[in-house]
Amino acid sequence: MRLWRLVILALGGLRRTPLRVGLTALGVTIGSGALVSMVAFALGMQQMAEAPFEMLGLLNNIEVSPGEGNNGKTRTLDDAAIDELAALPGVEAAYPHIRAAGVKLFNGEKSASATAVGMATQVPMLGEADQLLLAGHFFDSGEKPEALLSAALLRDLGFESPQQAVGTVLTLKADGLAPTDTETFAYERKDFAITVIGVYGMPRMVPGVGHRGVLVPVGLMKEIPGIRASPAMARLRAGKSATGAGYEKAIVRVEHFADLLPLEERIRAMGFETRTLLERLDKMRTFFVVMDALLAAVGTVALVVAALGVANTLLMSVLERYQEIGIYKAVGASAGDLVALFLAEAGLVGLLGGFGGLLLGWLVAWGLGTAVNLYARSYGVTRTFDVFSFPLWLLAATVAFSVVVSIVAGVYPARRAARLDPIRALRRV
Amino acid sequence: MDGGGNGEVFLETRGLVREFRVGPSVVRALDGLDLAVTRGEFLAVLGVSGSGKSTLLHLLGGLDTPTSGDVVVAGRDLASLSPRERTLYRRTGVGFVFQSYYLVPSLTAEENLAVALLFQGTYGPAGRRRAAEALRRVGVEHRRTHRPSQLSGGEQQRVAIARAIVHQPPLLLADEPTGNLDRATAEEVVMLLHGIHCDLGTTVVLVTHDREMAERVADRIVHLRDGRLVGGEDTTP
Repeated sequence: MRLWRLVILALGGLRRTPLRVGLTALGVTIGSGALVSMVAFALGMQQMAEAPFEMLGLLNNIEVSPGEGNNGKTRTLDDAAIDELAALPGVEAAYPHIRAAGVKLFNGEKSASATAVGMATQVPMLGEADQLLLAGHFFDSGEKPEALLSAALLRDLGFESPQQAVGTVLTLKADGLAPTDTETFAYERKDFAITVIGVYGMPRMVPGVGHRGVLVPVGLMKEIPGIRASPAMARLRAGKSATGAGYEKAIVRVEHFADLLPLEERIRAMGFETRTLLERLDKMRTFFVVMDALLAAVGTVALVVAALGVANTLLMSVLERYQEIGIYKAVGASAGDLVALFLAEAGLVGLLGGFGGLLLGWLVAWGLGTAVNLYARSYGVTRTFDVFSFPLWLLAATVAFSVVVSIVAGVYPARRAARLDPIRALRRV
Repeated sequence: MDGGGNGEVFLETRGLVREFRVGPSVVRALDGLDLAVTRGEFLAVLGVSGSGKSTLLHLLGGLDTPTSGDVVVAGRDLASLSPRERTLYRRTGVGFVFQSYYLVPSLTAEENLAVALLFQGTYGPAGRRRAAEALRRVGVEHRRTHRPSQLSGGEQQRVAIARAIVHQPPLLLADEPTGNLDRATAEEVVMLLHGIHCDLGTTVVLVTHDREMAERVADRIVHLRDGRLVGGEDTTP
């Protein structure tokens, strides 16, 4: 028997009790709707948590610090070492990660306190920096006294819009202790004139880049007083010369995410300590896998309950259609034909319910998503959240799962129909 | 081709016994029945109700299995068939007409034929052509889109007959086909069966309690009483 003939016959069977079939399918709809919306919620949360990392390309970064590598070697993280890191195959850029908190920015009379962060100018630090840049552009290659300004500093500096800030020349004042040849430190104070070339807005949750940050080229950053004080102190404590100290941290940016782990291994072998966001993300993902599983389990329970409804409906259908089944047997239906017929009916109920579930899940997601965003807006959050995520595979899997669960529920009624004695079935009215 | 048969035994039962368990007791519906039907014969089995007529037809049609004894159709013992072969026999070897028509109430006349053809593996244009042909033969093609509830008893039985012959089986089994019909309609239905028998050469076993009707159409009449044959007569002039 061809499948679509079977489907037509099965549809004919379902057509005669539309209310009952509808209610049963509604049960499946609620079950699969619960399943799809819960999994979509879990996926949405995970995506929301991971999106900033991916957007910023931070996942491609390896944080390198001096210290013990995996073979007991220790290396100083100096300029030579950074050049060496930059020369590794697959590395897009390597630059010292230098921060200086408490630098002062002046725009005429107005001033703001900021954290200066050194950036490599040859590559965008951020994966999709365009999305973060509110105005202006990223560094051109070359070490010019330029800066990218955090949007959080605009108001203090007397700018009304990001566009207004671009092109202005600010004074950056910094002071601090610099190590000399001996065990003494000299107090230094320096002013830099820097041109604002861009303004960025940064999600707060992203680590590494200060909320009130001013990004300057690494070359300029190296000139800022005070940045060597802390590593020099550490060396002095360890009984070494204060000079010749390296950097506390460097960023190695890999070209392809796939190279991250092998490169990390290699850098460790050179005698450095490494950290990646991937490790942190892995822990987060473990949490989400557990959450996915829990929510999917709840949804599955709903679907299994619905499957009992399918079994019940089909069983009633078999009992009511004894005579019809007897007729089919008398005109030559095999046991297999009858099993196929009732499984097809079950599958169709599952299909109907599965698509209904998608609709329901989408409605739930739309409703809750709107509610969440309205709530967030009432607290002044301007971003929109995609609380639910419906990847294509989830939609397909939901429909397939409801069909399969319904078919499984139909096995007993179908076998019962197939086993009927045709004579007794015919006599029963 | 007229009645009579050509002498070749098409259908044979040997020592056919069918017992039913009714509560604590055992009822013997057929008690060692020996019967032979030649190819192309129109046989009428007469008997009062409870004489085992229907049981005999069910056994001949492969719907039921005997307690003991054999049913041999076209040289094959039905008892030796696997379930699959038995289904195949029901599909291709036999057509059934019942007293209560047994049409599927939710399907139209045409669909009732189509669903039978579907299980028999014929569908599409070929199936539609056959269904139309069968409905025309029994004279209800103008009612083909009606459901059983919209048809008279006679029309329903005609549709049932069309369904029984739509796959052109060599054997037609009719179980009190006129039992629910008035005299005139019953007459028409029986003549219809006779016409099919004559035109297509179909072997027919008709079970009835109406002696007069049996005598008009059957080549031979046998009497069934308490599960045994009690004498037969050849009605061929």
